Amino acid sequence: MSTFSIHGVPVSNGIAIGNAQLISNALLEVVHYQLNKKEISNEIKRLSNAINDVRKDLLKIKKQLQKDSSEEFSAFIDTHLMILMDDNFTEKPKNIINEDYCNAEWALKKQMDLLVSKFEKIQDEYIKERKNDVIQVVERILKVLLGHPTQSNQTNKESSTILVAHDISPADALQFKKHQYAAFLTDMGGSTSHTAILARSLNIPSIVALQNARTLIKNNEKIIVDGNQGIVIVNPSKDILEDYEVRQNIWGIEQQKLSKIKNIQCKTINNEKIELLANIEVPGDIESVKNNKAAGIGLFRTEFLFMNRKDLPNEDEQFEIYKSVARSMKEKTVVIRTLDSGADKLTSADTTISANPALGLRAIRLCLSEPQLFNIQLRAILRASRFGKIKILIPMLSSLTELRQTKLLIERAKKSLMNEKILFNKNIMVGGMIEVPAVAINAEIFAQELDFLSIGTNDLVQYTLAIDRTDDRVSHLYNSLHPAILKLINITIKAGRKYKKEVSICGEMAGDTKLTRLLLGMGLRYFSMHPSRILSVKKQVLNSNTQKLVSSSAKILKAKESENIRTLIQKLNQ
Amino acid sequence: MVKKNIKIINKLGLHARASSKLTELACSFSSEIFLIKDNSKVNAKSIMEVLMLAASNNTVITLEADGDDEKKAIKDIENLFNNYFGEGE
Repeated sequence: MSTFSIHGVPVSNGIAIGNAQLISNALLEVVHYQLNKKEISNEIKRLSNAINDVRKDLLKIKKQLQKDSSEEFSAFIDTHLMILMDDNFTEKPKNIINEDYCNAEWALKKQMDLLVSKFEKIQDEYIKERKNDVIQVVERILKVLLGHPTQSNQTNKESSTILVAHDISPADALQFKKHQYAAFLTDMGGSTSHTAILARSLNIPSIVALQNARTLIKNNEKIIVDGNQGIVIVNPSKDILEDYEVRQNIWGIEQQKLSKIKNIQCKTINNEKIELLANIEVPGDIESVKNNKAAGIGLFRTEFLFMNRKDLPNEDEQFEIYKSVARSMKEKTVVIRTLDSGADKLTSADTTISANPALGLRAIRLCLSEPQLFNIQLRAILRASRFGKIKILIPMLSSLTELRQTKLLIERAKKSLMNEKILFNKNIMVGGMIEVPAVAINAEIFAQELDFLSIGTNDLVQYTLAIDRTDDRVSHLYNSLHPAILKLINITIKAGRKYKKEVSICGEMAGDTKLTRLLLGMGLRYFSMHPSRILSVKKQVLNSNTQKLVSSSAKILKAKESENIRTLIQKLNQ
Repeated sequence: MVKKNIKIINKLGLHARASSKLTELACSFSSEIFLIKDNSKVNAKSIMEVLMLAASNNTVITLEADGDDEKKAIKDIENLFNNYFGEGE
């Protein structure tokens, strides 16, 4: 076993040492190839053998389960066994091979697609979901055919397991939240991918865009993940391992030091108060909001309410969730962003997938085209508004017309509540996300009609530089220090100051300690970030003097190249 | 050949577990056994076909058996349905 290292994009800090657990996505690897007539009988035999291997494997699992688990589980395995041995898999794919002269994997996938499409048409939601069992069984056969069988043990829950996957989808992310992985490694992704966001929220190291980690790393191999530098070391030698164990300890001590500044007021050296707020996804995140002493919630993403379910959450359900968050934050601000779905976060409301989802029907566009869906959310937010300090935030505005339409719908929702004699905060503040460059350029116009502005830097960078942040072939071009980005942020902050409206940043930039001083110098006073970033940013704030930062920030804004900007920022942070 | 109409009385209908019990039982007979609902006729020995019949609670389906042990097959399968597939509801 030789030692080697793989480099990727570090997206969440920390050091982890553990064993790899490969999550393969066999379906992604299926390719089509044509066979000669002579090869057909061998291919059919290969398929039969694979099915037989899976059968033996399942029987083995069943035996293990019977020893130490419930009847429920073994019934589940029984179902998989029966699906496996059904004519639909033992016979039909063979016919496909015979007719199409194609490889076994392809025949199997073709048969699966046919079955899944039949399941999709079933009305009964419960039976419809069985298509997942079909997919799981096919995945098992494919893995054998492709030469990497599933290990029969269940998901390892030990905290020294490092997940190695192709990519982590939003749905996977919610599932993985329950397991205690020590680190995440993915072949795909960028710094704002779901993997990254999830890893930071769990406070575990993560490296993405590793390209072919899944082929280089073997299951159960010992690996070191250096999330600070973006290096994965596979099969480390004894010396390297010892070195990293020391580094891991030092990192832990530094984290402990940070916890000491928790209860100190967040003020700069020149006594200016800075508000560090938290971004949250689910009510459960509030615990870490409180642990890190956030000044409030600067961004409550509501789309997670709409995910992983077949129906839409109704008004009461949403109301209860918004109310519980508002109540637990007491007098502190809770900014609720209305549904920002579309793009990479699909809900059941979206039926068609456009070629350019990030530029398609999403966020406020989707809400304005589905006024009923929007009305339910607005009413729920308004009803919850009397239980705390709730503000409404509108995502992805691109024109004043959209803003006015939205405000009209908010007024209508208010009126309907008044008619029903339901109490709510009549003066609820309405803010807008500044993430479309067109809006940042015209920030002054929007500042006049909004109560507050929130810059979503992730999308602002993506839209300004025309880079798909989920495409790892271009993600290295994603650059929040592009001079144009800093200019747009500066325009927005100035517009807010002119019209006396609060301006915050709620994108990844707000939680990047390297940028804290620059943003303070540009005049930013409200930062909203993942709760786990708050203390690190606070440390920067406590050691900064905003008056002294103004001139150097102005100089940085005049720089023509990112390289130059980086050097100047380094100086600023010294 | 024997035919018999049966009403599905268990709450979840022919869901995964009920389907697998039915298929398992059907396979123990040498007769050919089919389930008929509306215009679809499926092989009771194939779990995929039984599942895709998507027969829910309160549906009436026709059971058809043809072979040496057809009578016992119909009787045993009917019992399985009427016993809520051994699930109590």
